[in-house]
Amino acid sequence: MIEIERVSKRFQETEALKEVSLSVRRGSIYGLVGSNGAGKTTLLKILAGIYKPDSGALTIDSQPVFENFPIKARTVFIPDAPYHFPNFTIRDMAHFHARLYPRWNQARFEKLGEVFNMETKRRIRTLSKGMQRQVSFWLNLSSAPDVLILDEPLDGLDPVMRKKVKNLIIQDVAERKMTVIISSHNLRDLEDICDYIGILHQGEMLLQRDLDDLKSDVHKIQIAFSGDSPPALLQDLQVLYQEKRGSVLILIARGPFKEIISRMESYHPAILDILPLTLEEIFIYEMGDRGYEIKNVLY
Amino acid sequence: MFELDLRSRAPVYEQLVEKIKELIINNVLKPDQQLPAVRVLASELTINPNTIQKAYRELEHRGYIYSVPGKGSFVKPAVPGTNDARLQALENELGKIISEMLYLGVPPQEIITMLKKLLAKKEGGKLDD
Repeated sequence: MIEIERVSKRFQETEALKEVSLSVRRGSIYGLVGSNGAGKTTLLKILAGIYKPDSGALTIDSQPVFENFPIKARTVFIPDAPYHFPNFTIRDMAHFHARLYPRWNQARFEKLGEVFNMETKRRIRTLSKGMQRQVSFWLNLSSAPDVLILDEPLDGLDPVMRKKVKNLIIQDVAERKMTVIISSHNLRDLEDICDYIGILHQGEMLLQRDLDDLKSDVHKIQIAFSGDSPPALLQDLQVLYQEKRGSVLILIARGPFKEIISRMESYHPAILDILPLTLEEIFIYEMGDRGYEIKNVLY
Repeated sequence: MFELDLRSRAPVYEQLVEKIKELIINNVLKPDQQLPAVRVLASELTINPNTIQKAYRELEHRGYIYSVPGKGSFVKPAVPGTNDARLQALENELGKIISEMLYLGVPPQEIITMLKKLLAKKEGGKLDD
């Protein structure tokens, strides 16, 4: 559905994206995570057809996006700071969207009004930040997009709204096979709804994988021996991180669960505990592996 | 139908597989009963439909459910007993529990009585159906 091949983009001296490739299947929810300044927003803006890539190819449904109106009519981008015209009411903004998007669905707009529960005659600038964001979701979900691109979408929404918005997105994915690309720093949110994750760092795609595969491929191991730990323990084991706390050794290792557990058990440890990692931990350790790590800063 | 623990570390699809398996084993979902449609379950639980699809595929692969194209997924009657890997894992679990009980000073005889009681309960449950 969405194919990006070796896309690069630079702004004067800054190389924002370096040959990034990714592909997203129809009906998938793709989570884009990365360090600050990694190029997430640039990538999303290229996807939305706002920026033109310097090199590389980008297609949605095998068609280029930039200045391609039929594709852009089916694609919706909610930026991290949504823009609404000054002094426009919600209803005015809805008229504007209706003229912009041929698939605008007025009935759906009214139906969604029950979810968002705001009067359409209110001026958007008088609304709070979180409510303005809700208006963006309300307007954009009413134009029944095939591709929904979200930049830090759930920022500023309260927990109830978060859940409601996620639910609306899931429904569209389930019913209409809408394709979603989300960038966020809130990895808990992504973990619940994404099926695919890409990690971007300094303009390069570090890894992209099925979320479940990613989680079942990296493990946190707590192991302790009654005597000294055997010297061969860490051989042929892909260790991303290790730490010794007292007599317990904590390892973050990559590899299939069964293989690791049988290897570990062969050394007859006194304690052995293997836990799947949360997405947040995976992110931190993968980044640490690339030299972007949390160091204890002491003054 | 059921709740998932979204704070848990286990992947969502694994949790789904375990929950549905539990419902099938405990006969809450009866043989040939239809499982909820992917779309419905996705919006009920607010999780990705692809994840649910994957869990259903896994359950089918493990022989707990079958799917009828265009109709949906159904509970397969009689769960096959050829799940060696899982049985091995369960045996290990049991071993761990028993060694902890022994360590805490429960006499072996008492453990056997406990087991017998639990087994009797399960079989009694079956007769009631």
